[in-house]
Order: sequence, then structure tokens, then C-alpha cells
Amino acid sequence: MRAIRLTLSLLLAAVLVAPAVAQTDITLGRFFGACDVPNVSIDDAVGEACIIQAIIDDFDRSDNGVSVETLPTDWGNYYDQIKASYAAGTPPTVHVMHSLAIPEFASLGALADLSDDLAAAGIDVSDWESTALDAVTYEGRIYGVPMDAHANLWHVNMEIMAEAGLVADDGTPLLPSSPEELLEHAAQVSELTGKNYLAADFAQFPIGVRLVITLAWQQGSELFSGGVANVNSPEATRAVETIVSLFEGGYADARLDYADSQQSFLDGEAAILVNGTWVVDFYVAQAADPNVALSEYYVADFPTLFDTPATWANNHLWAIPVTVKSNDPERYEAALALLAHINDHNLAWSRTGHLAVRTSVLESDAYASLPHRDEYAGTVEIARDIEPVVRYDAIQDVLNRELQAIWLTGKPIEQALSDANDAVQDLLY
Amino acid sequence: MAGNRGARRLLTILLIAGALLWLVPIVWMLSLALQPNELLARTTSNVAWGLIPWPFTLDNLGYVLSQGLTPRWFLNSAIVAVSMTALVLSLSAMAGYAFARIPFPGRRVLYPLVLAGLVIPEQAVFIPLYTMFADWGWHNGYAALVAPRVAVPIGVFLMTQFFRGIPNYIEEAATLDGAGRWTIFTRIMLPLSKPAMVTLAILTFLYAWNDYLWPLVSASRPEMFTITLGLASLQSNFADSEGLGRVMASGVLASLPVVLLFLLFQRQVVRGIAMGSGK
Repeated sequence: MRAIRLTLSLLLAAVLVAPAVAQTDITLGRFFGACDVPNVSIDDAVGEACIIQAIIDDFDRSDNGVSVETLPTDWGNYYDQIKASYAAGTPPTVHVMHSLAIPEFASLGALADLSDDLAAAGIDVSDWESTALDAVTYEGRIYGVPMDAHANLWHVNMEIMAEAGLVADDGTPLLPSSPEELLEHAAQVSELTGKNYLAADFAQFPIGVRLVITLAWQQGSELFSGGVANVNSPEATRAVETIVSLFEGGYADARLDYADSQQSFLDGEAAILVNGTWVVDFYVAQAADPNVALSEYYVADFPTLFDTPATWANNHLWAIPVTVKSNDPERYEAALALLAHINDHNLAWSRTGHLAVRTSVLESDAYASLPHRDEYAGTVEIARDIEPVVRYDAIQDVLNRELQAIWLTGKPIEQALSDANDAVQDLLY
Repeated sequence: MAGNRGARRLLTILLIAGALLWLVPIVWMLSLALQPNELLARTTSNVAWGLIPWPFTLDNLGYVLSQGLTPRWFLNSAIVAVSMTALVLSLSAMAGYAFARIPFPGRRVLYPLVLAGLVIPEQAVFIPLYTMFADWGWHNGYAALVAPRVAVPIGVFLMTQFFRGIPNYIEEAATLDGAGRWTIFTRIMLPLSKPAMVTLAILTFLYAWNDYLWPLVSASRPEMFTITLGLASLQSNFADSEGLGRVMASGVLASLPVVLLFLLFQRQVVRGIAMGSGK
């Protein structure tokens, strides 16, 4: 009898307790690719895909009453998928995006305003770098939790640089400080090693656009500002001429796409690769591989070729759809808890090579001791983002098309920049 | 005579050379799928411009096949492609027969209207179609993956033209024997239209299997991905510059059913293309 009573009591307790431990299911949309190492821990994870998945899985497994389902996406078409899900009224509960896309999404009223809810979720906004805060802010309100700043760097093959006599006494690479010096160094590498001086993706993704934007910034000029296009300015022309002079001198190959340019660098065929922060940990691993030609790897801040130090940068951030906040407070709270967890693991994410967004992380010894971090510590100071505009995606496409027309098809610089200026102006209305 | 033979031989050699050239990307895809990723990160032309898979590995194919949802994605593609093919055949055959043989009121207006659908690009109706299915709550389901592609003007046109070519006396003889319209359609016209049906079926199946854009936006949950979409989601890093072997393995696996279908029905496929019915 006692056993029956005990069993019934346990059953009753289970029924009563059940609602208290009910799971809140949330969905998460992200790019960064699929992690092919199952159940990897945060500390052991390597590369963007696995580090972010480990952080998410860690939150999912912890005893917080929240279950996270990561929706796999095709990286190249990520924004098409996300926009479609918004249009269908079924966006993921939380999703990653670039700060460049904030104006477009926020201006449509698609994103939840997180400004007044972050502190309660345990996210200290005052710990964010001011540039990171700016990146997630639109018209004075906060629409996301920043995860990193990713900027263009100069990835350097020190073996080639040494062969070309371009290494300083302190062992750092000698980088150019003017367009003229850039050509001198390039010629030196070409003559003494027979290698290309610089490789970058000039034929596929808009890395060429980012280069031109950077070189225009270094001359104190913007390609567009305040709703006015300024693509055919003397500064932009000078920026393009600087890049084209490398092709004309035979010091760089304009036909390389992203994979080819990376392969060229790893194969030891180019002294410099212009690429982002996201590949630092991969190149570190490659340089340690005896089968890879690249063996002495160095990462440098983007050099200042004109007057003002600057390099292109952008941010990855996490956002929550406005419908989640307005219709489903429980999921909204769960999503904020996940964002707090990601924010707490800013150091782990920085292992990819990205720049941390939290001041406390940036100033920590653990951050400073990450591989090569001291070599590009200055990037956080010179990293700049473009002015937020709603149609930046389309503007970037126009710029990429016209710049590629210059170095891939020989379109006159003046004509291409003029055409780009007209098209960008149309997109700025 | 000798000149003719020489010209024919030269033409044959040129055609073989053209065919081999066409095969290069396929052989290259297969070869890269069978080489280690670590090698491909450094070079894609290790032996014979990369056309010979050395060093050899089955890791990439194994990886793609070992992903939990890959069989489900194959199944989804099969369900979508087979359902779409069956529905397109049924609808096109019935509509084609009606337009070709049944003198109903409005036929002369309706048929050109259906054909007008041929000149409307798929992308032009993409957004209204998407929002309509969203309103109905159909996304992330088989119905949403299949339904938009069922009303195919080219299928109606193909079947109408075919039925028009069948001599009237066959139908008249059946009528004299007491056969009704449905019996004539199912027992006489459909069996006679087998060549056109097979062509339409193959083209529809290939189109459904290879479709990417519509499943990309309609299916956001992984369990509803088709194989083209699912394999694309396995990309492991930016620009796929570190996992070329897996990308190629995905391509090999995704194209296998289509290649098999082509090998089995190549005569009908070629005939279909010759009829100008390629979509």
C-alpha cells in the first residue's frame, strides 16, 4: 500500500513539476558553414563553423530550459533565405548577420529593438567597443549583439620577404608607406624571388571593392556620403590606379578569385595576401604543415599608403526578429539568454582571428596571447566601416562589377568610375 | 568519294574531341572528389592537371554520405521529382487532349493564354508565388515544393501538338464502337502518346531534381531540404576554399541519379531537346 502511495505521489509530483522544466525551443539561423566535428568542446573547436557551433551547443546542453535548433543554410544565399523566412512570417528566433545589413533590416522594422532588454539579460553594453556599439545601432536604438569586427589584413610570407630583403632588423616585414614604395617593394620581390608581390581575390568577392574603399579613406575621401555618390573622385581614381599599377607591373594577378588567391599564397607564390581576419587560425595551421609551402607566416595591419591609417572592417552580430519580441516573450527571453552566452564567449570566438568586441576581452592577457595577435593589434584602431546605407548590398555589387571591368576587361578607369558613380547615386536615393 | 570519307573522318574526330572536352569538367569533378582536402587546399592540379585522383581517398564521399540528413534529402528530392513528374504528365495530357480534340467554348482564347505563360519568366512570379504560399502556410512542406511547377505551359503545348498529330479516324472508330471520351483518352490516346509523355517526364524529372532556387526559399527546415539544397548547406567555410573535395563529392552524388536517368533514357532526352522542348 505504501509502495502504491509512494508511486502515486511520485507520479503526481512529476506531473506538477513537468511544466516547470518544459523546454523553450528556439531556432537559430547562421552562416559560417557546417562543423564536421561532432560534439566538439568550445576549447577544442577550431575554425568559425566549429567554434560558433560549440558555443551554441554548450548553451543547448546546459540546464537552462532552452533547446536550440541550428538551421543549416547555404552561405552564398544566406540573406535570400533569411529574407524569405521573414516574408513568410517564419524567421528563426535568432540569427546572425553583418552590420552592413542592419540599416536594410532595421529600416523595414524587421528587427527587435534590444536597447532596453540587454542589461536584464546580463549583457553589459558598456563593455562593447564604441565601434561595435555603432555597428549594431540604427537611429539611436540597438538592434543586435555584436560578436566581432572582421577587417582586411596583410597576410605575409616572411620567407619570400626575407629573400627580397624586405625584413627589418626586428624581424618584422617592411611594408610600404606610399604607392611609390608599394611598387618598389613589388619590383624588388619580383626581381629577387620571381614571385608575385600581392595576391587577393580581385575576380569574385568584393575584396577589390574593400581595397579601393580603404585606399580612398586613407586619402580622406568616401565613395559615398550623406546620400551623395563620390565614386569618380580624384582620390578613388588614385586608389584604383595604385591597384592597377600592380597588375601592369606584373606584380599581381587580377584573374585570381578567392580560392585561387589563397592557394597562391599557401603555395608560396605570393609574398602578401590581402584577406580578412577570419583566416588567421587556418593559415597558422597551414604554416605548421610541412607539406605546405608557406612556412613563415606573419599577419600585419593594412599598411598606410597615403595620409590616414584605415582598413575596411565590418561586424558579425546576432539579431532577433521583431515578431519574436512582440508575439512570443518566452522565446524572446530564451533568445536573449543565448545572445548573452555568445557574448560571454567572445574570447573563444576571437580564436578564429576576428577582433573581439568587448573591451574586457581586448585588454585581457588571454586575448593578447592568441597566435599572431600582437602583429595586428593596431587593426582595431584603424578598422573602419562604411557609412550605413539601406542598399549597400546593391552598391557593393555595382562597385565590384565596375572595378572588375577595369582590371579584367580593360575598361578605362575614368569611364568605369563614372558609370559606377551614376549607378551608386541611383541606389542612394 | 575519298574526299567525302576524309571529311567524315575529320568531322568524327572533331566531334570526339568536342565530347572529350565537354567531359573534362565532369572528370575533374569526380577526380577532385576523390582527392584529400588538405592537398586540394594547396593545389587542384596535382597529377595530370588534377584529372587523375592521386593521392586517392573516399573520405569526401564518405563524409557527405555520413551526414545524418543526406538520405532524407535524397528521399525528399525523389518525392518532389516523382510527384511533380506525375502531376505534370496528368495535367498536361488532359489539357493537351482537351485543347487538341474537344471543341469547347473559349478554346481559341484559352489556348493562346496558356501559351502566353511560356514568355513569362519564372523569376517574375517568384515573389507573389512565395507570399501566396506563405499566406497558406504551405512552406516547409512537399506541397509547396511541388505545386508551383505543376502547371507547365510547355507540357500543355507539347501534348496538344502531339494529340493534334494523331489521325482523327482512330478516335472516330472508337466512338463508333461505343467508347466514351474518357475511354478514348485513357485507352487509346494516352498509349499512343507514350513517346511525348516519356520525353515530358524526363525533362520534368531532370528539372525538378536540379531545381535549387525555389527549394532554397521555400524549405527553411533541414528535414525538408532537397538534395541540391542540403548538399549546399554542408559547405564548411567561407568560399569553400578549404573543402573543395567535399563540394565536388556533393556534386558527384547529386548528379548521379540524373546521369543514370540520362544513360537509361538518352534517346528520349535527345528527342525532347530536338523537339525544342528544353525548358
